[in-house]
Amino acid sequence: MKEKRRGPISRAAGLAEGVAATMRRMQREREPRVLVYDPAGYARLVQPEARGHERIMELAEQMVAGMQEPES
Amino acid sequence: MSILTAMADTLTPGRAAESLCELSTDVRTAVLLDAAGSLAGAGGDGSEHARAIGELARQLFEEVDRATRDWDTEPPQQVEVQVPGGAVFASRTPRWTLAAVAKRGALSSLMLYDLRAVLSELEGGPPIRRSRAADEGTAGPPTEEFAAEELPMPELGE
Repeated sequence: MKEKRRGPISRAAGLAEGVAATMRRMQREREPRVLVYDPAGYARLVQPEARGHERIMELAEQMVAGMQEPES
Repeated sequence: MSILTAMADTLTPGRAAESLCELSTDVRTAVLLDAAGSLAGAGGDGSEHARAIGELARQLFEEVDRATRDWDTEPPQQVEVQVPGGAVFASRTPRWTLAAVAKRGALSSLMLYDLRAVLSELEGGPPIRRSRAADEGTAGPPTEEFAAEELPMPELGE
């Protein structure tokens, strides 16, 4: 079946949807989280309510904070 | 003389963290710890805080081991922690732990790959080959044999 030709507004809307989806994905990837990877490379999420999660986040925040530029 | 030339190409523990910083522009600082958790090398902007970062990295894996102790899986080899101001990535082998503090938005897959590559080189694996610009010229003659050596293809099974 032949695909229906899309007009410029439809094409622009499609483009905007793609950009919005990319932005959402990027934002989701930057959400605070702890992932661990086994030797085969499989990732597993440490759930926020799991034992040690809070402490792991705390340690990572300290490592990142140690690298923050002092505010002028 | 030839011995010194050969040694210059070998990745040493002292150079490993620095090598990671050279590989990725997203890395702000990196530290290498030995099996005892002592600092073996540091690189990047935070090399003056290296001891503190190293200690935090050691504690990070301790906490990860504690958190995953009851899991029915092998102990984690790599860790990724995303926090509001950036991200921490760490990878370990029985002998070494390499941890990096990265900029916000650093690509996880690339970061983890680079960490593994540096550790693998440190463990005696093949050195990481850095690409060169075409105008930098090549080290050898432009023959098919040389090109094959530059881009080794994986061999299929017998």
